[in-house]
Amino acid sequence: MARSVLIAEDEPYILESLMFLMSRAGYRVRAERDGAKAVAAAVHSQPDLMILDIMMPTLNGFEALKQLRATPGLEALRILVLSAKGQEADRRRMMALGADSFVTKPFSNKDLLATVETLIAEPRAKPANAASDTS
Amino acid sequence: MADYTTGKRIRDRRLAQEMTQAELAKRAGISAAYLNLIEHDKRQIGGSLLGKIADLLRTDLADLTGSVRQRLASDVLEIARALGTPDVDGIRAAQFADRHPEWARIFIRLHRAYRDADETAIALSDRLSQDPTVRELSHTVLSRVTAIRSFAEILQQHGDIGHSDRERFTTIITDQSDELAESAREMITLLGGSLGDARPTSPAEEVDDFFIHHGNHFPSLEDAAGELRARFERQPGTLGSQIAERLAALSETANRHEPAPPAHMPETTVRFAQARRLVVADLPDVLKSVIDDDRLTTDAARERALRAVASYAAAALLFPYERFLETAEQARYDIDRIGAIFAGSFEQVAHRLVTLRRPGAEGVPFAFLRSDAAGNLSKPLSISGLRMPRYGGSCPLWAVHAAFAVTDRPIVQLAVMPEGERYLFIARNVKKRMAAYGEPPVTFSVMLACDVAYSDRIVYGDGFTAARTSLETPVGHNCRSCRRVDCGQRAYAPVMLAGADAQGTVAG
Repeated sequence: MARSVLIAEDEPYILESLMFLMSRAGYRVRAERDGAKAVAAAVHSQPDLMILDIMMPTLNGFEALKQLRATPGLEALRILVLSAKGQEADRRRMMALGADSFVTKPFSNKDLLATVETLIAEPRAKPANAASDTS
Repeated sequence: MADYTTGKRIRDRRLAQEMTQAELAKRAGISAAYLNLIEHDKRQIGGSLLGKIADLLRTDLADLTGSVRQRLASDVLEIARALGTPDVDGIRAAQFADRHPEWARIFIRLHRAYRDADETAIALSDRLSQDPTVRELSHTVLSRVTAIRSFAEILQQHGDIGHSDRERFTTIITDQSDELAESAREMITLLGGSLGDARPTSPAEEVDDFFIHHGNHFPSLEDAAGELRARFERQPGTLGSQIAERLAALSETANRHEPAPPAHMPETTVRFAQARRLVVADLPDVLKSVIDDDRLTTDAARERALRAVASYAAAALLFPYERFLETAEQARYDIDRIGAIFAGSFEQVAHRLVTLRRPGAEGVPFAFLRSDAAGNLSKPLSISGLRMPRYGGSCPLWAVHAAFAVTDRPIVQLAVMPEGERYLFIARNVKKRMAAYGEPPVTFSVMLACDVAYSDRIVYGDGFTAARTSLETPVGHNCRSCRRVDCGQRAYAPVMLAGADAQGTVAG
């Protein structure tokens, strides 16, 4: 059965390009444009990987990340964060909150796909925990 | 620079104008032999003869006496230190200013432009990081770029996509490009307000330069204000009532450019403001001719200079030169006492004392500096040997800063520079206007400084004539140039000393 990817991104054209890329790569794709709905969709559909944008309405990426990592049953979920901020401090903050990888906008499609494939190929090594925001 | 004397300058300027010694001597009313002695530094020259020769050579006194070069050298050195350049010392700065004065001026202008650009960059950076509109626009721009790049890569890397998808993705790229351009335009419009005000130099600094160039003394303003005062004194009534009467007679149009001060101002401020309104109305041509100077390059600088020379003329009207100098000498430069006699504030009197530079009738040479409570300095006027800071802050130990803690009297300091020069610093906290309830008071500290050699002529020198080191306050010009590594007030490491010891005492 094909692996599944949940995309949480509020920008419609970025979302459309990500959906195209993931579908073409053979993943089952589901998308949400709102942080709170994305968390609910993750609980409901149990995807293998989630692409999570930080700047989103209702619930931003930081809060969504915290909630996802505090939710029982989502321990295996790989989370790839998309961020407009490229500083090392932002990366450390995302990783401390439980992100598995971090990609900066504007991204290279090839690099993004390679990161998704790498994450999905291996079971999630880190134990899921409700990491606190230490930044 | 020490070898480039007034005599040599006269000779150089004369030769540059292809004038013979005999020709210049004849026009100056002296013998050629005497001019020859002057040019070879065998005779001292000063006073009216030097002024006459300066006129004949179509230059000014400051150029011939070298004070212009001293100021240039001082500015170059100060900038070099502010930039943390340890290799430039006073001698090198003086050589540079003396040999290449035009380049020195360009260097100073460039530094100002750099500083303005730096301040603009900091302001924009603050705005970019804090302004929600800018943040949102930045996010929009980034999102457009992300979508464009992603679809462009899809079109490039997926040759097998269908015609309709290809068309749609191409349309998205086009639309997103248009929106990106629109966002960029919005960004430019938004930031334009900040960029539009940027200037290569600040008007305040141009006006400072203008005053320093003139040695803070303007004979034409002194003469015009003197004639105006003489006219009033021929009429019955006090000067104040004469001024008030004249102002009342002036048309509304004449008064329009110089509004009346608010009623709650101190009496001295009101009187000074009235005098300024009067000179603006009655001496417009004189004021304009004084500021007709190519050092003032912008309308803002000319407006600022016009206000400053109007204040100068107002001071000359209220505090007439000869009488003021005589009173100052008699009162031994007791500023409060002089202020009581002439009904002037501490700052007005202190500022007027600095202008007593008429050749042949000079008062004690004073430097002047004003600071606000945050240490922002203004109105810097230097004297030979003591440079008032213009780029960066001054030494935190200077009396101008300590005066904020003492409200009812001047404080006096015997300041000793790292090189050993000793100066008297006289500073006082002054209130610019009375504050209404809830309105923050506008206060400054005003400081005069003079060489300690004049301490017996001024009342503030009493008690400091004995050579006791316990009376001295070791100070510097500013932290960057100061060699006192053990100073507890050090804010920045000195640039002239290397090594950990020099860095180790920076105050937290």
